[in-house]
Amino acid sequence: MHNPLLLGPIFIPLTSAALTILTAGNRSVQHLIALISGVLAWLCAIGVLLANLSGGIQTYPIGGWQPPYGIVFVGDLLSSFFAVMATTVILGGIIYILGCKDKSVSYPTFMPLFLCMSAGLSGALFTGDIFTLFVFIELMVISSVIMVAISDNRLGLEAAIKYLFISAMGTLFLLFGIGALYATFGTLNMADIARLLADGDRPLLAEAAAVMLACAFLLKSAVFPFHFWQPDFHTTAPTPVSAMLSSVVVKVGVYGLIRLVTLMFTDEAPTIRAILIVLGVIGVFFGSLAALRTYDAKRLLAYSTFGQIGFILVGIGWGTPLALTAALVYTFNHALIKSSLLMLTGVVSSHTLGKSARISEIGGIGNKMGLTGGLYFIGGLALAGVPPLNGFISKLALAQSGVASQDWLTLGLIIGAGILTLIYMTRTWQHIFQRAPEEGVKAKPHGDSQLAPALLIAGCVFLGLYAQPLLDLASRAVVQLGNPQVYIQAVFGG
Amino acid sequence: MNTFFAIATGVMFAIGVFQLLRRDLIKAAMGFNILFTAVNLLMLAVGAFNGTSAAYVDDANQVVGQPSDPLVQALLLTAVVISFGSYAVLLGFLAVTSRRFKTVDGDEMRRLSG
Repeated sequence: MHNPLLLGPIFIPLTSAALTILTAGNRSVQHLIALISGVLAWLCAIGVLLANLSGGIQTYPIGGWQPPYGIVFVGDLLSSFFAVMATTVILGGIIYILGCKDKSVSYPTFMPLFLCMSAGLSGALFTGDIFTLFVFIELMVISSVIMVAISDNRLGLEAAIKYLFISAMGTLFLLFGIGALYATFGTLNMADIARLLADGDRPLLAEAAAVMLACAFLLKSAVFPFHFWQPDFHTTAPTPVSAMLSSVVVKVGVYGLIRLVTLMFTDEAPTIRAILIVLGVIGVFFGSLAALRTYDAKRLLAYSTFGQIGFILVGIGWGTPLALTAALVYTFNHALIKSSLLMLTGVVSSHTLGKSARISEIGGIGNKMGLTGGLYFIGGLALAGVPPLNGFISKLALAQSGVASQDWLTLGLIIGAGILTLIYMTRTWQHIFQRAPEEGVKAKPHGDSQLAPALLIAGCVFLGLYAQPLLDLASRAVVQLGNPQVYIQAVFGG
Repeated sequence: MNTFFAIATGVMFAIGVFQLLRRDLIKAAMGFNILFTAVNLLMLAVGAFNGTSAAYVDDANQVVGQPSDPLVQALLLTAVVISFGSYAVLLGFLAVTSRRFKTVDGDEMRRLSG
């Protein structure tokens, strides 16, 4: 079914980016435009999701050129699920920017870059054409790299160069894989590739393409052994950007992996899945252990993202409908929790004189900040998976699917590592909010606004107490994923 | 023709990887660009599978020779712009780096490790 709403989450931020460049002289106008575009993009994403629930997969061929010749945007349940997550967190980020006192956020170029990043994010989720996916991922990467390079933290530049080099390698792999797929099948439409792959004969280059695409997506979501750029990049970013990077931008890789194993390379999926389980377990352990010994509160959360992505990969790796549902729910909940925690850390560090998030410098700064401390506590418990918060729901769903697939070793390992989360979150919370500040450490009276993290934490609590709709939605998305024919027919028939 | 493309892509890829692993980040950035060019050449070679003449018709509305695939050339335009853009951004970063950290040596830029 053709639905122009699909264009909303992509073209509204892009248009607003152009408008914010035109109004670069006036910060309040820029903020107003960004806020409106954030709300509109969010509403469009929800509209696509609702249309999907009632009317099946939504498609929109750009310029009226029918697939496989034209570029088509496809909003199936998976895409719209991810897009609702992304636009929700992006909206939170825009609200945070309104109350953010960072110097880099006040640059006239910041808002256009942020909006470009959000357009690239939604575009990568909605496109049905693998080359367009590459273009949108590059849009997202380049705009986020520039935002990190202009960060208040002067070392942001170093992290940005590091990431630009590494992400270029990922892009290269992606482009190589696209070239290999085109050489093999003569098409770039994902549904068309899936149809041709399902038809049987399987040239050698196709499997090489699968490996290259998988590598590219693993690199984008910072999975072991492609993870080493991630802590630096997420630590040095300005707070609103690091909240986006660590929560939704890494999920583009997860989305790509799910598409790879459920739509395109279903025959090779068992091999890819086995690898994903191993990488996921390594990620869970490495991330949690590294978070235990780190020196910076933002860096701790970046390492924790590394661990949490591991949980999601294990869910994809098990590959049963139950496990995929758990992985989707985990993805959604983690995006809310991680973005709010990073914003709260940003609020605390905005009260220090050096705007640093080093634990030695922000220890005790939060002593007088009751509300921030409470929100951080709730967020930390949600991340560790304590009931009745949403993190518990996702961990429970994952554990249930692990029991159902009888993979006791992996299940034991990840649950064991999950306890580490509780240790490092409570320790950091005590350190920042419970002890008295050290001699001579002065907190600034004014810092960033707490509205955005409060809203996101409210979402976490709400999704913990009222989890059934999200679980139902995820399981419907997984039912749709289990039958790639529906996707292919929707693209060609609609 | 295919052999030529294969050899050219391979050689450029090798040079690109070698340059990318240099300590001097400006040389690494050049390697980055050479690598991208190698992949772009590969994509172009994918299109020249059947023929290498341009996909135009002459005045008599006849196709001249065996045309190459025009779609990859359109894709390549985008890919070239993207690689050029990333290269420009990277060189811009390096210009600021050399002023801010007084070095463009990859081994000396490790203030973040820990």
